[in-house]
Amino acid sequence: MISYVLRRLGTGLVLAVLVTLITFLLLCTSFDDVASTILGSGATPEGIQAQKAQMGLDRPVLTQYADWLSHAVRGDLGASYFTAEPVRSALSARLGVTLSVVLAALLLTAAISVVLGVMAASRGGAVDRVAQGASLIGFLVPNLLIAIVLVYVLAIELKWLPATGYTPFAEDPGSWATSIAIPVAALMVPGIANLTAQIRGAMIGELRKDYVRTLRTRGVSTRSVVLRHALRNAAGPALTVLSLEFVQMLGGALIIEKVFALPGFGSYAFDASLQGDVPIIMGITLFGVLLVVCVNLAVDLVNGWLNPKARVH
Amino acid sequence: MRIRFPLARPLSRVAPVAIATTVLFSTTACDGQSGGTAPGSGRTLSLAIIGTPNSFDPTQLIEGQQTYIWDSVYDTLLIQDNEGRLVPGAAESWEYSDDARVLTLQIRKGMKFTSGTPVTSAAVKATLDRVRTTSGPNQVALAAVASVETSGDHSVVIKLKRPDGSLLPALSGAPGVIGDPKTMTSKSAALNPVGSGPYTLDKGATVNGSVYVLKRRDDYWNKKAYPFSTVKVRVIADRTASVNALKAGEVNAGSVETAQVSTLESSGFEVKHVEATAAGVLVLADRGGSKLKPLGDVRVRKAINMAFDRDKIVKQILRGGGKPTVQVFNPKGDAYDPALEKTYTYDPAEAKRLLAEAGYPDGFSVPMPSLVYTKPFEPTIVQSLKEIGITVKWETVPAQQTNSALISKKYPMFFTMDGLSTAPIEVRNNFNPTGTRNVFGTTEERFDSLLTRANSEVDPAAAAKTYKELNAFTVENAWNAPVFYVGTHWVTKKGIRYLGDGSSTFSTIRQFGVTDQ
Repeated sequence: MISYVLRRLGTGLVLAVLVTLITFLLLCTSFDDVASTILGSGATPEGIQAQKAQMGLDRPVLTQYADWLSHAVRGDLGASYFTAEPVRSALSARLGVTLSVVLAALLLTAAISVVLGVMAASRGGAVDRVAQGASLIGFLVPNLLIAIVLVYVLAIELKWLPATGYTPFAEDPGSWATSIAIPVAALMVPGIANLTAQIRGAMIGELRKDYVRTLRTRGVSTRSVVLRHALRNAAGPALTVLSLEFVQMLGGALIIEKVFALPGFGSYAFDASLQGDVPIIMGITLFGVLLVVCVNLAVDLVNGWLNPKARVH
Repeated sequence: MRIRFPLARPLSRVAPVAIATTVLFSTTACDGQSGGTAPGSGRTLSLAIIGTPNSFDPTQLIEGQQTYIWDSVYDTLLIQDNEGRLVPGAAESWEYSDDARVLTLQIRKGMKFTSGTPVTSAAVKATLDRVRTTSGPNQVALAAVASVETSGDHSVVIKLKRPDGSLLPALSGAPGVIGDPKTMTSKSAALNPVGSGPYTLDKGATVNGSVYVLKRRDDYWNKKAYPFSTVKVRVIADRTASVNALKAGEVNAGSVETAQVSTLESSGFEVKHVEATAAGVLVLADRGGSKLKPLGDVRVRKAINMAFDRDKIVKQILRGGGKPTVQVFNPKGDAYDPALEKTYTYDPAEAKRLLAEAGYPDGFSVPMPSLVYTKPFEPTIVQSLKEIGITVKWETVPAQQTNSALISKKYPMFFTMDGLSTAPIEVRNNFNPTGTRNVFGTTEERFDSLLTRANSEVDPAAAAKTYKELNAFTVENAWNAPVFYVGTHWVTKKGIRYLGDGSSTFSTIRQFGVTDQ
């Protein structure tokens, strides 16, 4: 298993190098624009060339990338062109905000979807119809609209939760929880809709299989059949959907962070892209790739733990 | 000639008692008196701004809403008060030589950086020299400076290559900040500024790019002008989030869009509408006709000016949150002339006639850059120009390429939404042969002579008259096609008041005062 994990991590690193190289090659066409943006409306062609030389942007592209990569492997991701803030510390601070929201949304999505999906599949009838209805509504209503309604009701009218901003967990766990409550709720609705439908379908399929009938005829309780046997087998596809949901939530965080003025990864990436802040974009790309690789690996490991058939030998 | 400080008269004599508090705080920044405790002391101003601040390195400061932060941390040599007048800042007086080539500034005594180091003429020289020799957004503002010399600890002499009317107003902005020479060149200056301004940046409570917390200094020379002991500036780029933060009580001041005003007013917020803070201008950059020949003809440029139904644009696109105009200068500034507003009225038939007279009866086509901020106006620009026979071909430009595209000389015409400034700076940016918006560097003899006169004039009243003449020249010769002024709605919670009226568009904490609740 250790070799499997190391192999996957190795593949992830190769992927990170390739993705960052492609990103850098795409960005290199805008180096003139970066220098021009820094100099402002008073930029002259000579000034732009001088600024590029000062920033080292006049060197061959591959030399620049090799330089960035050699620093990156040593943990130095450079500094923002515009604020001079070191990228690593900036990303670490912002990653905490984004992961707070995304992981909380992911865990709650998983928990709620399992409950709804299993209940819908095992009980059927009204419970199933309610779960399907809720799932459909979750699909149809954009999470931005949900966010707006929740902010209006819970933050502006009732003043129970903050409308904007973020409090770090270390500062005040209670305020941290309230500061991410609405963003998490907005982010997890489509995920719950998707995952509930997935689990319901997979569970119905499992519950109709022969081994379930056999278990029941041998007197195994319904609870045990559903939770210990059927759910375990249904978990594989659900976990795959969950890992895809994580990637979607990372993307969704970009909008949600803007709407709630959260100082996270998404809003930082958005601003950096508009400005052409190359070191930040590169840092975000690297972090993003590594994050997705790690989450996918974690999902595969959990899947293997739950279902021996999924283990790679 | 010594410039007299115009605010020596006690304003309380001329202002009604009811607005005395407001006036007091709008002017105390300039009274030059130190000490005392400001009414409202202990209050917090929690202000929402849109843009993320740049580096705090004095060479990289940019003006805009982020100025609220750096202007609180740094002193500037001069101050632009809320009425738009230049008054003493770190320099308690200044004097131009008769030929306007030597500017002598007397630096206020007793000022200290937060590091404890005294502010001296050497610090001023070091900062000015660094700004003018380091590539950055402010280098252009000091382009006319030949040398900076010190004379004793509190006298600075700036020698100019040529007279420059925009230098004094520039010294009230980013090019006029004073940094601590000991720390200014270190990397830490970018995030941890050391200045001599009224506030210090509380690094412990500040989250870069998100929240900036400023604590007022007790030893500041003009403490009275700053009634808030704490200023918390929150970067909220999304306008809806900004309104939500106001409604939820998470910030107590911010600017909002016109559509939100009535809701906030009915919720008990105080709303102050500043009619003009930026101008929407169709820049007829190639007015020499080097790339697009028709633009070299004044009749064509006048026709373009007649193509826009400015009243309708303000009413329907800006929802009344602006004002139609044919000028690029601040309507509350020295150069503005209300009489010029009648120069071009909406008249497509006359515009077509002028185009035909110029030899373009079938019109012509022109490429224009489609930028992030031009999108809402593009259909109107296309329709208005199409009506007189001019076809616009939009070319999409990504946000990060905006500046490059505008200075590339690729586009004979482009639409801008620049913030308003003082008349000399507007002239420098828009019309100088090296101006940032005069991309093709065009000029004319009459303009040159007016510009030389304006730059050489050391008497502010006489200079103002010349800037008015410059404005009239550019409007009558249709150097641009300004369309509208766009305003700003400032919303404050009860107890806080926005004191500006648009006379000064410089973003400073001095624009916020306190009132009895």
